[in-house]
Amino acid sequence: MNMIEKILARASGRKAVAPDDVVVANVDCLLLHDLSGYLTGRVFEKEVRRPMRYPERVVMIFDHHFCPPSEEGALVLQENRAFARRHGINLFDCGNGNTHHVAVRNGFIRPGTVVVGSDSHTPIHGTVGCFATGLGNDSHAGTVMPFGKAWFKVPETIQVRLTGTHRPGVTPRDAALWLTGQIGEGGAIYKSLEFSGPYIEQLDFWDRWLFPHIVVDLGAKCGYIEPDEKTLAFVRTVTDKPFDAVRGDADRKFEATWEWDFSALEPQVTCPPTVGNVKQVDEVIGAPIQWAELGGHGGGRIEDFRLAARILKGRRVHRDARFNLVPSSRAVFTQAVREGLVELLHEAGATWFPPSTGSNQAYNMGAMTANEAMISTHARNFPGRNGNPNAKMYLASALTVAASAVAGKIADPRQFLKEF
Amino acid sequence: MQARGRCWKFGDNIPTDMIVRTDMIFKPWPEILKHVLETCNPEFPANVKPGDIVVTGKHFGQSSGRAIAAKAMKQTKIGCIVAEGFARTFYRNGFEIGLPILECPGITEHVSDGDVLSVDVESGKIVNETTGYELQAKPTPPFLLDMLKAGGLIPMAERLAGERS
Repeated sequence: MNMIEKILARASGRKAVAPDDVVVANVDCLLLHDLSGYLTGRVFEKEVRRPMRYPERVVMIFDHHFCPPSEEGALVLQENRAFARRHGINLFDCGNGNTHHVAVRNGFIRPGTVVVGSDSHTPIHGTVGCFATGLGNDSHAGTVMPFGKAWFKVPETIQVRLTGTHRPGVTPRDAALWLTGQIGEGGAIYKSLEFSGPYIEQLDFWDRWLFPHIVVDLGAKCGYIEPDEKTLAFVRTVTDKPFDAVRGDADRKFEATWEWDFSALEPQVTCPPTVGNVKQVDEVIGAPIQWAELGGHGGGRIEDFRLAARILKGRRVHRDARFNLVPSSRAVFTQAVREGLVELLHEAGATWFPPSTGSNQAYNMGAMTANEAMISTHARNFPGRNGNPNAKMYLASALTVAASAVAGKIADPRQFLKEF
Repeated sequence: MQARGRCWKFGDNIPTDMIVRTDMIFKPWPEILKHVLETCNPEFPANVKPGDIVVTGKHFGQSSGRAIAAKAMKQTKIGCIVAEGFARTFYRNGFEIGLPILECPGITEHVSDGDVLSVDVESGKIVNETTGYELQAKPTPPFLLDMLKAGGLIPMAERLAGERS
């Protein structure tokens, strides 16, 4: 069995499971954010009407709001706080950071466990060695909250074996964006993707994070990286709780093996209107942008701010562009302060925002007119997520986002890096 | 479970954000229903009738896993959705909230907007009454048909969790 099969077998009390089996498994952690937490809470209290069985396993994180701009938003948060108090679940209020980063950094995500969430990017926790997937409100309200369980069909697994070393100016996010274009939206429907190979092994935890991040938009159910010493060392920095990490059998079978090498990769930009529309940066250089942003599920890491600082040092944000910096957690902001990045990027004309999920869906920031465009590290660029459905969202690495903020239009970061 | 109605046809990869725009998710249903799928076809929210059948391309309902997109489709009182394929969260949510949905590769080639379709949700037999063309959808797993017959996940949750036989 592979890692996912072993975790699902253990969680459903079986010796073994195989693809297409339907199992009812114990859930170790349920993640909710302020939007779908609200919708889930209403189903739980109005339609299910049972006690919360394991409140300690349920975590609600306000990340789409950091300070509600409307009474409607304030009411949603008020209801969510009351819901959290009534049922005794964990609550992280405004200003803590992005839902997935907060969950990991507070030790709720441990290797070998089953993690579900109302956010569709929940598979990102496969980075920690979990079986992690996004479910809908009715699964959370109907079976996870009252019984601590959920139903799952065991997916087929595809091995994604990655090799190569990047050229200067190219980052793991370029690799992840490019991979999204190669596999394609819906190119791995219902599959489980095991990311492996020398490329993955040499990455640090927060760069590995960018790969399970993409699987939902490929249509996959989950993605993961088998936990190794790096994973376990990271997890020990965020929790003292015990865990039982799982790795697949050496003779595990895959439905297919896909291999890619990143040695010749150029910086990539995902263009509107969907995440599969990935181009090399030179095809879109000069496209106008009014906004640039580091933030979101995969962005707002300390690595992103360090990359931006390489571009912004000695330069300024273009007068016609606005550059939003959104730390993914309070810990990242503290680190950015210590490293002098807060001052450097602030003085360069960028604007720091509270730890949150930033312009993701424009609840607290990030609405655009039909004529505006943003380039960001966010996960998605679908129309209708940032104000007017004709507004454009481009996705790129922190280097390309920062270079575009300096140029006031999409730019190749290599023109600003000294080594070129 | 039978459905019969006019066909509304949509393309590939339609995200939940285009089914229900993100700035709509806390609005009351009548307000949401005025805008369902309007970015794809402004006629749809204005003129969809109970029993109509929505036909879509590949990977329908990608993006957010919020059930609100599936719930909004159910609230329009359509008879069912037949897609070349669904995003897995939309597929799961469809059954969990009791919205009949079928996967039928090839469907978009054989139907046009306004054709009258009849669909047997259990057997998967689809007839385009306007052209006479017949198609067979992929079989729905029995577990999910049971869920649909129960009216969704919540009515069967106790049984599923093993707390009631």
